Amino acid sequence: MDADYKNKPAWLKVRYDEEKVDHVSDLLSKMNLNTVCSEANCPNIGECFGTGTAAFMILGPNCTRNCHFCDVPHKRPAPVDLTEPLRVAQAIKQLGLKHVCVTSTDRDDLPDLGSDQFVRVIKAIRELSPHTTIEVLTPDFQGKTALVQRVLDAKPDVFNHNMETVRRITPLVRDRRATYDHSLKVLHYAHEHALEGTYVKTGIMLGLGETDEEVYQTMDDLIEAGVDFLSIGQYVQPSPKHYQLREWVPMERFQTYYNQAMAKGFKFVASSPLVRSSYKASAELAAVGVKR
Amino acid sequence: MEKELKMPKLSPKSDDYFFGSWEKQVGDEVKKGDILFEVESEKVISEVPSDYNGVLKEQRVEEGNPISAGDVVAVLEVSDS
Repeated sequence: MDADYKNKPAWLKVRYDEEKVDHVSDLLSKMNLNTVCSEANCPNIGECFGTGTAAFMILGPNCTRNCHFCDVPHKRPAPVDLTEPLRVAQAIKQLGLKHVCVTSTDRDDLPDLGSDQFVRVIKAIRELSPHTTIEVLTPDFQGKTALVQRVLDAKPDVFNHNMETVRRITPLVRDRRATYDHSLKVLHYAHEHALEGTYVKTGIMLGLGETDEEVYQTMDDLIEAGVDFLSIGQYVQPSPKHYQLREWVPMERFQTYYNQAMAKGFKFVASSPLVRSSYKASAELAAVGVKR
Repeated sequence: MEKELKMPKLSPKSDDYFFGSWEKQVGDEVKKGDILFEVESEKVISEVPSDYNGVLKEQRVEEGNPISAGDVVAVLEVSDS
């Protein structure tokens, strides 16, 4: 049931707004910062940059893993830049962001797997923008809970780690080092050990060939792990070399999954084709009444 | 005054796209902000608006053809207003 990834549905149509995109792009490139918006070629870049929202990608732009759905380059990464946390914090302040998402490439080459840079970035943002809510979207840190704990101790408002897909499809689309169980373990650990005020979040993509039963099983696994927020979006195949798109999932199914997920007990669910981890992410904190 | 309209850079990562469709035809009046054409990059279809008022004189690209950022797409007779 392969779908033609070039035959894009109407909801993937976006208005190009050079002025607004350039304003954010210029600032970020002047400060030598990466966003996952640019590196992953996100369809929402016009809207998000247009409204002053950006998801910073630290420790990048090259990733040590090679997931078949992802457009971030798989190359030898550069050494950790210790000036990056301050530059990220300054950019957030200049853009006046109310909510920020900070993610990273996978850094299996580093002894701390990149966890300490998350801590430094959270601290720098808190110092310069104490009223900005912070969401971190982390790697699985190879399932090493001591590293997860370091990030939790820095008290992000949201600890996010993406499951990406259902159990059966995980080895087909994610790097072989990224397993379904590692990710579940990270989320469960975060739920058990997060300090008060940190919510746990994850996301999955649809259109990879998953069945309804598999999606519901994943929701059950996530509820059992203690996940608070769930985002569900459509996979968009970045190029012919990437994992073959199986289906443009109809809007009704996103609605059905939303209803099922809410009934299962998630505190907030975003389910719609263009939903990405960081897309309008402040809504979930508003839903649970968090404000800084 | 005639003005050559160039393909904008739509994606921070890529300069190569596929031309989608023309929303204005030769001879059509164009207002600033009107959608001129659609372009497909790997992940999205972008609607590209005109930065000028005028009349479309030439279409230099055919629908479905590959196109790169900076290529001339169209010629517009720009009006003063």
